[in-house]
Amino acid sequence: MSATSSALLILFAMIAVYVAAKLLRVSTELSLFFAAAGGALAGGYGIPVRHLAEGAITYLDICLIFLTATLFMNIIKEAGGVSFAVRTILKNFHGRRGLLFLLLAALLLIPGALTGAGSVTVLITGSLVAIVLKYMGLNEVRVAAIIFIIAGLSAAAPPVSLWAMLTAAGINMPYVGFFLPLLIPCLIGALLTIFILGRKAQPVNLEKALGELPIPPERMNWWRLGLPFLVFLALLLAGRIFPFHFPILGLPLIFALGAATATLCSPVKINLWKTSLETVEQLLPLMGTLTCVGILVQIMTLTGVRGLIAVSVVTLPAAAVIASLFLTLPLSEAVLMWGAAPVLGVPLVLLFNTRGLDPVIVLAGMSLIWPLGDALPPTAIIGRLTMTTVGVRERYSRFLKMCLVPAIIIAIIGTLMVIFSKKLSFLTVF
Amino acid sequence: MPERYMSRKIIFTALFLPLFIFSGLSFYRSRHLKEPVVAGPGVLEVRKLSHYFPGIKGSINDASVYLLGNGGAGQGSVLILGGSHPEEPAGRLAAWIIVENAVVNAGRVFVILTANPSASTSTRPGGAYPPDYAIKTPWGERKFRQGDRWSNPLDQWPDPEVYIHYPSRQQLAYMDIRNQNRTWPGRAKGTMTERTCHAMTRMIIEENIDLVIDLHEAELQYPVISTIVAHQKGEDIAALASMMISAEEGFQIGVEYSPVALRGLSHREIGDHTQAIPLLLETPEPFLDATRGKTDRELLLSGKDEFVMKAGKHGLLFEKIDENGWPIDVRVGRHLSSIIQILRVWTELHPEKPIVMTGVPRYTEVIEKGTGFYLKNPSEAPANRVFYE
Repeated sequence: MSATSSALLILFAMIAVYVAAKLLRVSTELSLFFAAAGGALAGGYGIPVRHLAEGAITYLDICLIFLTATLFMNIIKEAGGVSFAVRTILKNFHGRRGLLFLLLAALLLIPGALTGAGSVTVLITGSLVAIVLKYMGLNEVRVAAIIFIIAGLSAAAPPVSLWAMLTAAGINMPYVGFFLPLLIPCLIGALLTIFILGRKAQPVNLEKALGELPIPPERMNWWRLGLPFLVFLALLLAGRIFPFHFPILGLPLIFALGAATATLCSPVKINLWKTSLETVEQLLPLMGTLTCVGILVQIMTLTGVRGLIAVSVVTLPAAAVIASLFLTLPLSEAVLMWGAAPVLGVPLVLLFNTRGLDPVIVLAGMSLIWPLGDALPPTAIIGRLTMTTVGVRERYSRFLKMCLVPAIIIAIIGTLMVIFSKKLSFLTVF
Repeated sequence: MPERYMSRKIIFTALFLPLFIFSGLSFYRSRHLKEPVVAGPGVLEVRKLSHYFPGIKGSINDASVYLLGNGGAGQGSVLILGGSHPEEPAGRLAAWIIVENAVVNAGRVFVILTANPSASTSTRPGGAYPPDYAIKTPWGERKFRQGDRWSNPLDQWPDPEVYIHYPSRQQLAYMDIRNQNRTWPGRAKGTMTERTCHAMTRMIIEENIDLVIDLHEAELQYPVISTIVAHQKGEDIAALASMMISAEEGFQIGVEYSPVALRGLSHREIGDHTQAIPLLLETPEPFLDATRGKTDRELLLSGKDEFVMKAGKHGLLFEKIDENGWPIDVRVGRHLSSIIQILRVWTELHPEKPIVMTGVPRYTEVIEKGTGFYLKNPSEAPANRVFYE
């Protein structure tokens, strides 16, 4: 049997097992696991325990970031910091919608741009922004869509864009010249998103909002609220400014130290054990999905299914590849997350490079489209995280539908950057 | 806690416990797999990298340095690096064959078989690498660790959210802080990978090494392939060696110049920070291609892959591939012949500092007899001539 037939059969077996598991109402996480196990069995590998275990730790670091960042924000909430901040923002900006939108877009863009992770944006500033937007009369689904799309753009924004960095590393290209090609479309995309999806926003009824919002503890003030964020930012920047003198802490520990500061600054006593347990409970489905996606990717790689998908995409005619970027990039992100950059990004940028396109602009354009896939199954990690953070109780498909217009605009911007990369190469100045 | 949750947890724990135990055993075995090295006739001494920089002592990356020579003074010296990226096995195997077979008639040859030992002890999550591979020899099999591109997170963790290279401050992808070919020239107080590079930089300076040859392999979709990457100091040697190889060895190899803007690589930083001329050799390894099919030992050693061939037919590769693939013997042979020719060119250009090495098989010999033919049987060697990686 040829490699293609074999990989196709295994792929069908995986899909069949996944669908069967879902029909039997098995959770998404376990369905992914069973699909992986089914693929391994169909490929004649039995139960490859080493690969299952190794795949399970693929996204361990991301799980730790999720856990510690959520704990950080949950402690801030428990301390009354979120209600304090929202009340203050509403009091000062309730009458100036445009200014408020600009402020909120900036709040959403910064954490992801600094860390390269949209999840950090969702967890750190997402919940805060969500409450403000809800008081502007936007429904939860719309709010979640705004936060998700801008969080994705924040991850693509400079200085840290993991898709661009991973792909550049894969083709021996310095991560230089990306600042403007990433910054400008991310800013445009973020502003378009918040103004388009937020067009129905109403002036805030301040009296009603302040009456409904929980009243923060009396001793809560900007210092108590700001200090944990300052500690977080200081530790993050210290690693950047003094990289050769400051120890590498890693994002999970930085968030944990921020959480410890938030506990110490809280005007009310925080039950750390209880909050930690609730945080784990809250994130268990997400971490389970990440773990099982890692296993699935490992088995797809082992059996050749990943190779089949990759080679099928990159061997399409160049025009078809460009025309289908809006599909292939998000779909690869949905399955592989950042792993999509080395698997698909490397051959695609090399393909475009051989066709005379500017690789920096091409990669920047692609980096803009990739994060859209974070809302798509089977992982849908950031999409689901946003739903949880905003507290959306409606169907996931409604959220996806709401994301559609800004997603199309962003995909068009990214695709146009690829097509006109040569003309845009003046942007690659630093 | 509700009782149904507890019983569910117990059932899942019981189901997954065997998985944890058996996978744990597999990881333990591959991390502690001992790879024997039979010191050949040219080996004068085996020392540790911490000899040059105590800051690496006690860490897994205190690599063994094999010093080959004939005791003569005032001659040239070369450092050959295998296993900067252990997932590229041809580099390690070529270095192994040199240590076990070479006779040095002039000069000194320093060989590090596993320049990043930590990276040789793990495989890539999501990559589905086999834990090890075996090379057939006339007396049995030799087993080697597969390894990864990056140092094992068990030895160096966590990663920063962005890696800032020392001393250029260039920003690189976060995991490349564990990539030994992105951490040159190293840093005394840096991470383990940076300290390893610092130790090797100190060694290059203290031993007044003239040439450094860093052995690598590359995916066929990578533009830098089947080539010698040379620092500007080594342009003449690389160009001449490339001509000699093409004329005499039976295969073609190109020359690329080390980009000044790409930091942390051996071919850039060793040249900028030491007196040595760095050259980096790349052979094709389809196992590394993103479009590869089944990921197994067979692909690793045969280099045959239908999907990579399909990518080649669509003009997506920078090296050709056909049904014959890129077998390990071809890749090891290319490295060995390239080294032989580079040393020959060096000696011709610097007759006052010769480096003359014999007993190392060339490309055609390795293809004819196989890589395993040149690996010695440790059970037949005197105990004091057997070392372990």
